[in-house]
Amino acid sequence: MTAVLQRAAPPAPRLRRDRRRWVWGLGGLALLGWALAGSGLLSGPVLNPAGTGQVGRFLAAAVRPELGAEFLRVVAGSTLVTVAYAVLGAGLAVLIGALGAIPASRTTWGRRRSGWLLTRGGLALPRGLHEAVWGLLLVNVLGLDPWVGVLAIAVPYGAITAKVFADLLDEVPRGGYRALLAAGAGRGAATLYGLLPPAAGGLLSYSFYRLECAVRSAVVLGLIGAGGLGYQLALSFTSLRWEQVWTTVYALALLCLLADVAGRAVRRRVAAPRPGSRRDPLLTGAVLAVLALAGWAVGYLALSPAALVSARTREQVAYVASAAWPPATDGDLLAAVWSASVETVRMSVLAVAFATAGAVALAGLVARPGGPTGPGRRALGVLTRLALLLLRAVPPPVWALVLLFVLLPGVLPGALALGVYTLGVLGRLVGEAVEEADRRPGDALRASGASPVGAWLYGSVPALAGPVLALALYRWEVVVRDTVFVGLLGAGGIGVLLSAATSSFDWPAVTTVLIAIVLLTVVVDLVGARARTALR
Amino acid sequence: MRPARAARSGGFVPGSDPLPTFSRRTLLTGTGALLAATLAGCGTGSAAAPGDPGPLRIGAIPDQDPEVLQRLFGTVAGSLSADLDLDVEYRPVTDYAAAVSLFRTGDLDLVWFGGLTGVQARLQARGAVPIAQRDIDEEFHSVFVVNTATGLAPADDLASLADLRFTYGSETSTSGRLMPAYYLREAGVDPEGFPGGPGFSGSHDATIALVASGTYQAGVLNEQVWRSRTESGEVDPAVVAYARTPAYHDYHWLLGPGAVARFGGGLGGRLTGWFTGLSAGDPDDAAVLELFGAGSFLPTEAANYRQIEEIGRDLGLVS
Repeated sequence: MTAVLQRAAPPAPRLRRDRRRWVWGLGGLALLGWALAGSGLLSGPVLNPAGTGQVGRFLAAAVRPELGAEFLRVVAGSTLVTVAYAVLGAGLAVLIGALGAIPASRTTWGRRRSGWLLTRGGLALPRGLHEAVWGLLLVNVLGLDPWVGVLAIAVPYGAITAKVFADLLDEVPRGGYRALLAAGAGRGAATLYGLLPPAAGGLLSYSFYRLECAVRSAVVLGLIGAGGLGYQLALSFTSLRWEQVWTTVYALALLCLLADVAGRAVRRRVAAPRPGSRRDPLLTGAVLAVLALAGWAVGYLALSPAALVSARTREQVAYVASAAWPPATDGDLLAAVWSASVETVRMSVLAVAFATAGAVALAGLVARPGGPTGPGRRALGVLTRLALLLLRAVPPPVWALVLLFVLLPGVLPGALALGVYTLGVLGRLVGEAVEEADRRPGDALRASGASPVGAWLYGSVPALAGPVLALALYRWEVVVRDTVFVGLLGAGGIGVLLSAATSSFDWPAVTTVLIAIVLLTVVVDLVGARARTALR
Repeated sequence: MRPARAARSGGFVPGSDPLPTFSRRTLLTGTGALLAATLAGCGTGSAAAPGDPGPLRIGAIPDQDPEVLQRLFGTVAGSLSADLDLDVEYRPVTDYAAAVSLFRTGDLDLVWFGGLTGVQARLQARGAVPIAQRDIDEEFHSVFVVNTATGLAPADDLASLADLRFTYGSETSTSGRLMPAYYLREAGVDPEGFPGGPGFSGSHDATIALVASGTYQAGVLNEQVWRSRTESGEVDPAVVAYARTPAYHDYHWLLGPGAVARFGGGLGGRLTGWFTGLSAGDPDDAAVLELFGAGSFLPTEAANYRQIEEIGRDLGLVS
């Protein structure tokens, strides 16, 4: 007894604020302040109330979309093209990812880090360019071949999939792998039988997530002429036929919804496997269905591997390569690239801040409540989720023009256009995070008499802040790549330079701008990754 | 051993699996064989027989009503195909630069280009020949429009536009960018110097809508589009015409060198003959002419676009 008393009490863990988080938090606020200062929001009028009539036309058309039989037939055919591109693009990306994961994983290289670093650096190039930019480049080499759409999705997606697959392989428990190695198995066999089985669930889950994303990307590719729904949307958008635009948006939203629901069902099942049965019929069925769909798509798009290695393709690659190298380095261009990059960062920060604020504000409505609720609350939840679906089904360039009707030209319309679109994506993700969060702390506070707001602030927010900010940081990198789209219309950003260079066929300048875009995404990616580690 | 344990350790459990139990190896081999078969099948299917020139692929820059053009282009393709005994195929494009690239790669044989895109295409595909233009293209004009809130009355003096928020159409549009920028500079206005920089609305219709909303106080567009929209009463009364540019050559059909090699040297002449022979009296021909908003088609030649090329070089749009 005395011995116990005499021993010094163990030091209680001191509750102190993590200094790193403070630095990142203040840095983030400073960045936001700088972006706001540059947006013109604080320095003068930004609204153009006279344009409400034009926005009214856009919104009014939403309730009377074009439903003529002829147009619906066009839309139905285009939907099939979009599905075919999405399935083949995502499928090829998973294949590339599986092969690329080998040189991208730490397991392969062991202690020799140089090869690993080199591969990771190499992956930044395909990953840093938007699918639409890949599409633009591929059109110049492959012309109207359907490979343009497939590869434009498969190349950037393949690179990111390789990275994620490698991380998944590196992170699974390695007991089986080590045991196999110790028993004398070769490294290949040990990987196949010791590493792959425990990682299989994660790999499958991520593959289906990619497929969901590919549907939205396939639409974006249509905007550059690869066909499908996005293509019909772009045509009708050029003449501002809003009724037709809305019809394609609804078709697109439906497609996204199907992909979301199916993908989520598969991912949920992977996360919580049914006990007992040997092979889950739902998962087997999903994989077989996607394979069948891919087989159909190859036939539907008339995809021929011969086109990739034809003499004409080689000739065009040579033409573009010789025209585009070396990159332009004149001072005027470099100065323009620099100021456009700064504007791009501004735009992306504003967009992500807007989307995050909106997503947090709507999270309570989006998340399906845990307990029993009234029909009013349920209807409100469904409506909010549908609204978010539409926000992400309308492509950013359309939002940019619509917002430009009521805002004066500048960084703001572009930033808000990206923000609105990102809100559609982030709103859903944050809602899911809320659904999956631990409800017990909040419930305990409420049971002990805390007000609902107090219970939410002290019970739910602390646990959610980390995941929500991490999601926002992930989207930041995506938004930087998306700014390429909304640069026109005097909104600024690096998209203006890219579009000026491509439309005047100034290939050396195109190379310079593309290098700048890749560097920009790498920097944002690194900063985001650092900030996320501070949040953990 | 209980069934669940047996299953986990890989043993055979009768009736535990609702799907046919085939081994992983069978599944993989089967899928692989299926994919290989599909790929091989379409590889042989799409190869053209030697000596067959294939279809004549026509396209158009997405300028005025591209959705109408795309959805009605069957008219042109059908009419052309019947009269010249050619297999004609329409391949739609959504982007000015993509149309030029596709002409270079030979994916498009005959394209309806604007003045500037036609020059860009001829510079990239040596040996391309202009085939025909519309009657209105010989003397084409652009219209500067202003929002009524500016209080500007129609005039010839472009200098008063210099201090307004101003938008062009598409970046490489001849009537929505190139020629207006040239005439602005002639009038002493820096074509890139508008407050906040000029905007690029992306299309003639978007220019009208953005000037109507007042986001941009002034803009410029193709006179043909302006006329057709004013006549149909679609234009918001807040937009009025301010000035009209002098005349210049614009749109034309351009035939690629690849098509001449495939179909023979006489193709250019036959096409010019077909276009110029279209008459408003014939109902089929009239449909084609109406689609292009033309009274008739006329022959044209590369020399007509020399001024456009020079201006394009000056403005850094032709390299």
